[in-house]
Amino acid sequence: MNTIIRPFIVSLLLLASMAASAADVLTVYTVNYPLAFFAQQIGGKHIKVVLPMPPDIDPAFWEPDVMDIAGFQQADLILLNGAGYSKWLKRASLPRRKLVNTSAAFQHDYISVKQTATHRHGPGGDHSHAGTAFTTWLDLNQAIQQARAIMLALEKHRPEQTDNFRQNFTLLETELDDLDKTIRNTVAKDPEKLFLASHPVYQYLARRYNINLKSMMWEPELVPDNSQWIALQQLLGTHDAKWMMWEGEPDEQSAARLQTSGISSLVFNPCANVPDDGDFISVMKNNIMEIDKVFRR
Amino acid sequence: MINSLYIAWHYLVFNKLRSATLVACITLIAFLPMALQLVLTESEQMLQSRAASTPLLLGARGSALDLVMKSLYFGDEVPGIVSMQAADEITDTGLGYAIPLYLRFQARNKPIVGTNIDYFDFRKLKLAQGRMLAMLGECVIGASVADEYGLLPGDSIVSSPDTLFDLAGVYALKMNITGVLERSHTADDQAVFVDLNTAWVIEGLGHGHEDLSKTRDSSVILKRTEDNITANAKLFQYTEITEENRDGFHFHGDASIYPLTAVIAIPNDTKAATLLRGRYLENQQYRIVRPTEVIEGLLENLFRIKSVIDSVIAIVGLATVLAIILVFALSVRLRQRELTTIFKLGCSRMTAVKLIAAEIVIILSASSIISAGLLSVVLANAETLVRILIFN
Repeated sequence: MNTIIRPFIVSLLLLASMAASAADVLTVYTVNYPLAFFAQQIGGKHIKVVLPMPPDIDPAFWEPDVMDIAGFQQADLILLNGAGYSKWLKRASLPRRKLVNTSAAFQHDYISVKQTATHRHGPGGDHSHAGTAFTTWLDLNQAIQQARAIMLALEKHRPEQTDNFRQNFTLLETELDDLDKTIRNTVAKDPEKLFLASHPVYQYLARRYNINLKSMMWEPELVPDNSQWIALQQLLGTHDAKWMMWEGEPDEQSAARLQTSGISSLVFNPCANVPDDGDFISVMKNNIMEIDKVFRR
Repeated sequence: MINSLYIAWHYLVFNKLRSATLVACITLIAFLPMALQLVLTESEQMLQSRAASTPLLLGARGSALDLVMKSLYFGDEVPGIVSMQAADEITDTGLGYAIPLYLRFQARNKPIVGTNIDYFDFRKLKLAQGRMLAMLGECVIGASVADEYGLLPGDSIVSSPDTLFDLAGVYALKMNITGVLERSHTADDQAVFVDLNTAWVIEGLGHGHEDLSKTRDSSVILKRTEDNITANAKLFQYTEITEENRDGFHFHGDASIYPLTAVIAIPNDTKAATLLRGRYLENQQYRIVRPTEVIEGLLENLFRIKSVIDSVIAIVGLATVLAIILVFALSVRLRQRELTTIFKLGCSRMTAVKLIAAEIVIILSASSIISAGLLSVVLANAETLVRILIFN
C-alpha cells in the first residue's frame, strides 16, 4: 500500500511546491532593453521580465495599445527609465505604486534638449527629441545607478531574496564598471578627437566620457537628402570631425559619400531594444571595440 | 368585538376629517423619531465604514470635515488645493504609498473622481462589465450612475462645464465609458472615475490640437520663431480624446504642481502612520488627518443634535397624546346623546367602552400601517437620503 501512496504524495508535494514557486515569481514590466537586462541579471529566476514592444521598434517612441497597458496594469513592478522616456506614460492609466523611476537618483543631472524638428523612422511614427535626453544608460555610471534602483525595488517586493539580488547586482555592477573604465581609458588617449553623431542619442555618453560630439538628425537606413548634406557641411565648418557615430549600420551610399568628405563611420549601438545577437554587455563591448579602433588611429 | 369594530369603522368614516387628523398626528409622532433613528444609523454605518477603511488623508489646511466629506463621500464642498508633489512626497518617504484624488468636476451631476488605478485595488472595487481604464479620455462608472442613465461600456459621458456662461472656463470633455463597477453600496456607486491626467485635461492643463508645424491655416498662428510656434485662441482644441488624436494630447508646465483635492496615504504599518502624521504636524501648507477621528467628531455632533430633536419630539409627542385624550374625552361628551340611546337600547356600559376602544384600535392600526409604509420608503432610500441630508 505504501509503495502506491508514497509516489502519489511525493508528486502532489512536488506539484504544490512548483505552483507555489510559480506564484512567487515577480512579474516585472520594463520600457526598454537595458532595464529588462539589468532586471533579469539581478532578479534571476525569481522574476519574469517582460519587454512588451516588438524588437524592430525604438522603445522610446513605442505606443502601447489597450492590451499592452492591461499587461502593465497587472504587473507586480513597472520599471521606468525616467528622463522623459516613454512619452505614452502621460496618456496611459498605470498603477503609481508599482512604478519605479530608475533614474530618479540622478534626475538633477538630466540633460535638456533644445526644441528639434519632428521626424519619422521605423514603425514608431513622427517624433521629436526635444525635452530631456533619455538614453541615460549610455553613461555606464548612470546605468549602475539604474541597476541599483532595480535591485532596491526587487528587494522591497521580495525581501527574502535580498542576498541573492545583492550578489547578482554586485556582479553586474562590476561588469558595468569595467566597461565604464575601459571607455574612459580609451577616450583619454585623445580627448581632442571630434565626432559627429547621426542622431541626438549620445548626450550622456559624450558628457560622461568627454567625447567632443555634435549631433545630426540622420537615420542609418535612410540616405540623407540635399538639405541634410548642406547642414553637415555647415557643421563641419565649426566642428571638423572625421568620424560619425551611427546607431546601426549606415546605408552604404551614405557611408560612401561621407567617406569622400573624409568622414568614416562607426556603429555605437545604444541597445535600447533587444539586440539581434548577444546581450547588453556584449553589445557595449562591441561598441567599445568600435571606438577603440578610432582612438588607435 | 367585530360588531364594535364595524360600528367604530363607520363612525370614523362618517367623521373623516377628525379621523384623518388623528391618524396624521399619531403617524407623525411615531414616524419621525424612528425615521430619524434609521437615517442616523445608516449614516453612522456609511460614514464609519468608509472612514475606517481610509487610514490617512492629506489635504490643504482648512476644514478637516470638508476634506473628509469631499474625499471619502464626494460631497459638494471643495476643500483647498494641494499639489501633485504632495502625493509624491508621501511615496518618497517610503513609509507608505499615496493615492491622489482630484474631485472638482461633474458629469450629469455625478462627481468625476480623478485618481489612478491604485484606487480600485485600495477600495476593492471590481468591474461588473467592460474593462479598466487604460487610456487618456476613458472612464469607468459606478453602478448607480450606470443604472440611473442606462449607460454601458462603449457609451460616452460628457463632463459638465463649471458654469454655463463661463466661456473661458473648463470645457466639456466627452469621455468613453470602458467599464461599469460592481455595486459597493458606497459613494463609489455614484461616481465617474477617470485617470488624473484626464481630470487635468478637463481642467485645461492638458489639451489636444492639430500639429501647429503642419497646419495649413496660417490664421491660427500668432507668432513663429525657430524654436517655438505660438497659436492664437482660434486654434481648435479637441473635445473628445480618440485613438486618432490621442497622441496629440499633451500637458503644459510642471506636472509636480498640478492640482489635487486630497491624497489618501496608506502607511506600511502603525509606526509608519505615526511617523507620517508627525511629518505634517508643523506643516503650514498641508494637514494630515485620520478620517475616523473627523467622522467621530461629526457623529458626536449629529447625535447631540439628534438628542435635542428627540427631546423636542418627546414634548410634541406628549402634547399630541394629551390632545388625543382631550379629543376622545370631548368626543365622549359630544356623543352623550348617542351613548344614552345605546344604553336605552339595552347595551351595557362596557359596550360603549368597547366602541371607543375599537375606534382607538383602528386609528392606531392605520397610523402604524402608514408609519411602516413610510419607514420602508425611508429604508429603501436611506443611502440617497443620507447623501442629500449629510454629505451634500
